[in-house]
Amino acid sequence: MSATGTCEYQPKDYKSDLKPIWCPGCGDFSVVQGIYRALAAVGRPPHEIAFVSGIGCSSRIPGYTTAYGFNSVHGRSLPIAQGIKLANPDLLVLAAGGDGDGFSIGGGHIAHLIRRNMDITYIVMDNQIYGLTKGQLSPTSQKGRVTCTSRFGSLEEPVNPLLYVLAYGAGFVAQASPTDLVGMAATIEEAIRYPGFAFVNIQSPCVTYGEEAQQIKGLKAISETLASLGHNPADRLAAMDLAQHYGEKLHLGVFYRNPEPPPTYGDLVKERQVLLSKDALPKERILDLFIKK
Amino acid sequence: MRKDLVFGMAGSGGDGIVSAGDSLLQAAAAEGYHGVMTKSFGSQIRGGESSCRVRISTEPILNPGGNLDVAVALNWEDFLKFGAELPVSGTTVVIYEAATGIPENQIPLVGVTPLQVIAVPIAAMAKETAGTERAKNTVVLGLIAGWFGIGAVAVMKGIRKKLAKKGEELVEANQRAFDAGRAFAMEHPLKASMNVVASETKGQVKLITDGNDMCAAAAIFAGCQFFGGYPITPSTEIMQFFTDHVWKYGGSVLQAEDEIAGIGAAVGASFAGKKSMTATSGPGLSLKSEMMGLASIAELPLVIVDVQRGGPSTGLPTKTEQSDLFAACFSAHGDVIRPVLAPTSVADMFRITIEAFNIAEHYQTPVIVLSDQEIAARKETLDPIDTTQFKIINRLVPAGADLQDYKRFKQTDNHISPISHPGMIGGTYLASGIEHVESGAPTNSGSVHARMNDKRTKKFEPLKDRKDLFEVTGNPNAPIAMVAWGSIAGVCREALAMAQAEGLDVKLLVPYLLYPVAEGVYNDFFASVQKGLVIEQTHLAQTFKLLRMHIDLPKGLKPLARSGANPFLPSEIVAALKTLVSELQRSHEGNLQPQE
Ligand SMILES: Cc1ncc(C[n+]2csc(CCOP(=O)(O)OP(=O)(O)O)c2C)c(N)n1
Ligand code: SF4
Repeated sequence: MSATGTCEYQPKDYKSDLKPIWCPGCGDFSVVQGIYRALAAVGRPPHEIAFVSGIGCSSRIPGYTTAYGFNSVHGRSLPIAQGIKLANPDLLVLAAGGDGDGFSIGGGHIAHLIRRNMDITYIVMDNQIYGLTKGQLSPTSQKGRVTCTSRFGSLEEPVNPLLYVLAYGAGFVAQASPTDLVGMAATIEEAIRYPGFAFVNIQSPCVTYGEEAQQIKGLKAISETLASLGHNPADRLAAMDLAQHYGEKLHLGVFYRNPEPPPTYGDLVKERQVLLSKDALPKERILDLFIKK
Repeated sequence: MRKDLVFGMAGSGGDGIVSAGDSLLQAAAAEGYHGVMTKSFGSQIRGGESSCRVRISTEPILNPGGNLDVAVALNWEDFLKFGAELPVSGTTVVIYEAATGIPENQIPLVGVTPLQVIAVPIAAMAKETAGTERAKNTVVLGLIAGWFGIGAVAVMKGIRKKLAKKGEELVEANQRAFDAGRAFAMEHPLKASMNVVASETKGQVKLITDGNDMCAAAAIFAGCQFFGGYPITPSTEIMQFFTDHVWKYGGSVLQAEDEIAGIGAAVGASFAGKKSMTATSGPGLSLKSEMMGLASIAELPLVIVDVQRGGPSTGLPTKTEQSDLFAACFSAHGDVIRPVLAPTSVADMFRITIEAFNIAEHYQTPVIVLSDQEIAARKETLDPIDTTQFKIINRLVPAGADLQDYKRFKQTDNHISPISHPGMIGGTYLASGIEHVESGAPTNSGSVHARMNDKRTKKFEPLKDRKDLFEVTGNPNAPIAMVAWGSIAGVCREALAMAQAEGLDVKLLVPYLLYPVAEGVYNDFFASVQKGLVIEQTHLAQTFKLLRMHIDLPKGLKPLARSGANPFLPSEIVAALKTLVSELQRSHEGNLQPQE
C-alpha cells in the first residue's frame, strides 16, 4: 500500500509461499502466473479475494495465491463460490479447476450459475485428461483417445466447454493458452471485470499424461487469436460458430461478452433485501409471526 | 367433563379435513386450550385421502395422544387407510357420513365396539344450508362445537377472517352450515357428556406453529443469514419460511440445483463468515455427506436439519421415522465427530435450533438437527416464549496478535482456533478438505493427520458434560427406566406419568444431544437400572446399538423398536413397562439372597 492509501499491487503480491507440486512443465504453472498478473491489474487486495477450487492437479491453484483460498471437494467449487458471493457480495470471487472437475462431476452446476448470473469468474484448466488420478479419460478427451480407462480408444464425443456455457447464456466466454501469457492475463482480467458469470477455458497441457498435440509446441501450431480474425465479441452467434472448432483450433481471446450485462443475482438479492427490510420484526419478536389474531 | 380430547378425522382430498383441523386448533387456542394437530396424507399428490388428528387439553400436551375420543369419517375407505394412525377404541364416539349408506351397527371397524356411533347426513346438510358439499368441513366443526363444547364462537370467527376476502355470501353460507351442525348435535345428545372443562387461560395469547416453521424462525433468531437447499418432503417448509423472511434481515436463500449445491453454498457462506444452514430429508442427507465431511475438516460452522421420514431411499416420504440416526452420526467417511441434536416437540425446536447454531459456531463444526416428520408437520399451540433468555454464541474471530502470524488451525488448549474470513486483513488462509498443518497448508504427513484428528475430535469433549442437553424425569433411583428421543420422547413422557399414576417406580432419560454419546450421563442414569427400554421408531434399534457401542449397558436394558409409520401409544409403553416390573419381581422372588 502506498503512503497515500491507494493500493498498487504487483503480481508477486498474489504469490503465496507454497511451492507448487505440479510436474515440471505442467501448463498450470503458466495459468497461475496469468492469474497473478490479472489480479495485479485489477488491483483488489488479496484479503478481499476468495478463490475456490474443487479437486484435481489444477484445483491446487488457490493455495498458490495469497487470497483466501478454498480447496474443496471434487466438482463443487461453483456451489461453494456462490455461497461466498451471496454471503458477502463485496468480495471478488474466483473459481477454478480441471475439465473433469468442471464438466464431469460438477457439470450440473455451471448451467445454474449462469442462469443466476452469479458474479463469479470461473477458470477451467482444460488438459483433456484426469491428471491427479493418473491419466483417465476426461469429458473433454477426444473421441478415440487411448487412456488407462479407454485402452481401446474412447467411445464418447467430448464435451465442448465453450459451446456448453454459450448455450446456457453465459455473459462472458473466453479462451486462453499458456503459449500467450500476456494475452491470458488480459483475458482473465477482462473476465474478472465483467459484472456477472465469466468463463475462461485455458488449454493447460498435462505433460505427464497428455498427448503430443496438447503439449506447448502443438498448441502454438493450432492457436489463432480471435482479434486477428476480426471477431466481434458482441456477436453471440458468431461466437458459437467459432466455438464449434474446439479441439481442432485453439481460438484465443473473448468469444462473447454481453454488451448489456443484465443485473447479477447479487444485485437482485440486494434489491429484495432493501425492499423487504422495512417489514422486519425485531428478531426478539420473530415468534410473533405465529400469533393468530 | 373432560380435560383432554383427541379428535381424528379422515376424508378425501377435497373434503377439507386438514383445514377443519386447523380451524379447530385455532379455536381451541383462542379458548385458552393447549392443542396439537398432526396431519397425514396418502401418497397421492392431490385428491387422495387425508387425515388429521387434533388433541386438545387444559394442560400442556406432550404428544398427539393415543386412541381417538372422537372419530370423524367422511368416507370409510379413506378413514380405514389410516388404520393405526387413527385408532378407535371402546371409548370412542364415532361420527360418520350417513351418505356412505352403511348402517350404524355395521360400520367397518373390525374387533372394536365404539362407545357410540352416529351417522350424520353431513353432505346433505352442507348442500342444503350452504348450497355446496364443500361446506362439509364446516358442518363437522358445528357438530364438534355442539357435542364437545369447543369452538362455538371462535371457529366462526376464524372462518370469517379466512373468508372475508371472498365475500359475505360465502361467510353466511358457512355460518348456516356451522349452525346446522350445532343444531344437529343439540337434537341428538351423546350418551355421556364429553364437554371439555373450560380453560382458565381463555383470551391469553398463544402461538400456533409447526416444527419446520419454528426451526426456520429460530435459525433467523440465532443470526442465520444464509440458507441453501433443495426441496424434499417433509423439510421444504423450512426453505419456504426463509424465502419469506430472511431477506428482511439482510440474509439470502438459494434454492439450489440439488442438495450438494445447497449445502455447498451454505459451506461457502459459512467460510465467508456468515451463519448458514441447510435442511433436507433422508435422500438429501445422503447426497450431502461429502460436504459434511468437508465442513468438519475445514472446521466450518454449519447447521444441517434432517427432517426424518421413513427410509431407506425414498421410503415413506410422508411418514415419520427415527431411522436416520446412524446416517446423521456416521455418514461421511473418515474419523469425524459431528454433533447431533434432537428436539422432542415444536416448542423444543426453538431452543434446539439455537443450540445447534451455538454449538456449530463455538466448536466450528457442522451440527445436525435431527427432526422428524411428526415434529416438522405437527402444529402445536404454545405459550409465548421469552426470547431474551437465549444466549447467542458467535465464532471466535482472530484479533490483534493472532493476526500477526495467523494460523487458521492453530493448536490451542481447548482445540478451538480463531477463525478468520475473507475481507479480514491478515487472516488469509487456505481452507481445504485435504489434511493441513496449522497454517492451512496441505500435508501428507501421517503424524500431522493424527494430531489434527485429535484436535477435531477432542474439541467436543466438553459437550458431553452439558447436563442441560439431557432431561431425567421420574424417580432418579428407579430400577426401571426408559430412554427415548425426538417425537417419541413426548409419548414416553406421557407413558411415564401414566405408569407413575399406577404406582410403577420408573424414570425416563431424554437426550437432546444424541452424538457424541455422553457416556457419563448415561452411566449415571443407568446406575440404578435393572430393567429398561430404549424406545425408538427404527427397525434396527439404532439408538440402542449406538448406546451399546459406547457404554456397558445394564443387562436388563432392551430395545423397544419398530419402524414407521405409526408412533407408539403411551398405553402400549405402559404395558411394556408392567411386563418389566413383573419380570423384575419374579427374578427377585427367585433370588433368596436379600438385595443390597
Ligand atoms: C467424489 C470424488 N470422486 C473422485 C475423486 C477422485 N478424483 C480426484 S481428482 C479427479 C479428476 C481430476 O481431473 P480434472 O478435474 O480434469 O483435474 P486435473 O487433475 O486434470 O487438473 C478425480 C476423479 C474425488 N476426489 N472425489
Ligand atoms: S499430472 Fe499432468 S496435470 Fe497433473 S501436475 Fe502433472 S502435468 Fe500437471
